[in-house]
Amino acid sequence: MDRIGEFLPFMLEGAVTTVEIFILTLVISLPLGLPIALGSNSRFKPLSFLCKIYVWLFRGTPLMLQLWFFYFLFPFQFGITLDAFMTIVITYVLNYAAYFAEIYRGGINSIDRGQYEAAHALGLSKRQTMSDIILPQTMKAILPPVVNETITLVKDTALASALGVIELMKATNSAVNRMTDLTPFFYAAIIYLIMTFILTLIAGRLEKYFSRYDAKEEW
Amino acid sequence: MAREKILEMKNIVKRYGDFVAVNNVDFSMYKGEIVAIIGPSGSGKSTLLRCINGLNSVTEGEISLKGTTGMVFQHFNLFPHMTCRNNITYAPIKVKKEDKDAVNKRADDLLKMVGLENKADVYPGQISGGQKQRIAIARALAMEPDLMLFDEPTSALDPEITGEVLNVMKKLAERHTTMIVVTHEMGFAKEVADRVVFMDNGVIVEEGSPEEIFDNPKSERLVAFLSSMLRA
Repeated sequence: MDRIGEFLPFMLEGAVTTVEIFILTLVISLPLGLPIALGSNSRFKPLSFLCKIYVWLFRGTPLMLQLWFFYFLFPFQFGITLDAFMTIVITYVLNYAAYFAEIYRGGINSIDRGQYEAAHALGLSKRQTMSDIILPQTMKAILPPVVNETITLVKDTALASALGVIELMKATNSAVNRMTDLTPFFYAAIIYLIMTFILTLIAGRLEKYFSRYDAKEEW
Repeated sequence: MAREKILEMKNIVKRYGDFVAVNNVDFSMYKGEIVAIIGPSGSGKSTLLRCINGLNSVTEGEISLKGTTGMVFQHFNLFPHMTCRNNITYAPIKVKKEDKDAVNKRADDLLKMVGLENKADVYPGQISGGQKQRIAIARALAMEPDLMLFDEPTSALDPEITGEVLNVMKKLAERHTTMIVVTHEMGFAKEVADRVVFMDNGVIVEEGSPEEIFDNPKSERLVAFLSSMLRA
C-alpha cells in the first residue's frame, strides 16, 4: 500500500492538467460552435461554404494529426514558440467546435417551420427568433450528443501525452515505467471514470431542466 | 357608415415553379369586416392569406395594408418552451417594448376572454389542442393587431372541440374585430361572416353575403363544392 504514495500524488497532478485542458477546451469550443453552425446554415453561400469546409477538415482528419500540425506550425511558419499546453488547447478547441457546430446545426434544423412563422407573424426580429424561440428549443435535442462529445473529450485529453504534456495519461505511463507495476493504470481508469461520472450526473440534471415543458399528461 | 379600407390586394399572383397557387386575385377588406374564405383544399386560400402578412411573398401584384396583422395557425405554433402567459406577453414586451405590468394585465383579460385563466402558468404541452388554439388566439390579440388572420384554425382539432375555438372567434366577431378566416366550417362562415369568398384553382370564383353564397350559389363550382361539404 505504501507504494501508492510514490505515484498517486504525481498522477493527481497530471489529473489536474487533464481537467484544465478539458475545461478550457469546453468553455471555448461550446460557444464557438454556434457561429459556425449559423454560418453553415447561412443563405450567404461563401460563408456557408467556408463553415462547411472548416467542419469537413476538422472532423475528417485525425485529432493527432491536427495536434502535430499545430505543434510544428507555429514555430516553423510563424516563428512563435507556443508551449505544448497552449497548442493542445487551441487544437482541441478548433476540433471540438467543429463537432459541436454540427450538433447545433442538427438541433436548429429539427425545429418546426411553424415556430419561425409564428415568430414572423408576431413581428420578432431574426435575432429574437433565433435567441429566444429557436435556440432554447434545441437544447433538449442537442444535450445528449453534446454530452457524448464531452465525454469523448475527457478521454481525448490523453492524446496530449504525445506532445509531452504531463497530464493524467503521461503521469500514469511514467509511474508504470518507474514502478514496473500495472496498478497505476487501474488508478488512472478510476480517475477517468470519476470524471465522466460527474459529467453524467450534470447531464442528467440538465436534461431534466430542459424537459420541464414536456407534456405531463397524454392528450 | 364611412368605410375605411384596411387591406387592398390587386392582381395577386403566386407561383411555385410552374404551379400557380393564386392566379390574379383582387381582394379588399374594410375595417370591422369579417370575411370567410372557403374552397377546396389546394384552392389557394391559405396561400392568399399568407401573402397578407408576408409569410408568402407574392410573385406579382400589389398589397397595401393599413395597420398590423395577427395570425392564428392551423397547428397553433405556440412556443412550447414558454408558459401560456409568456406566449402571450413575449411579443408585446419584446417587440413593441410595452410596459410589463400593462401587458400582464392585458394577458389576464385575454386569458379570461378565452376561458383559460387557470392555464396561465402551464406549458402548451400540458393542455389540449382546443386550449392551445385559444391561447394562440390570445397571443395574436395581445399585439392588438388591426386585422386578424385565421388559417384553418379548427382543421387540426377533433370535431367535438372545434366549438370551443369557434365560440372564442364568435366573441371576437361580436366585438367587430376585423378578421379573415380561412375555414372549412360552413356553419361558422354562414353565421358569423359579413362576406364569404369562394376560391377554387387559385381564383375567386364567387363572393357575396352568406345568404348569396350558401342559399343562392351561382357558379357550378360553388354548387358542387357546397354539396360535397354537405356530404362530408
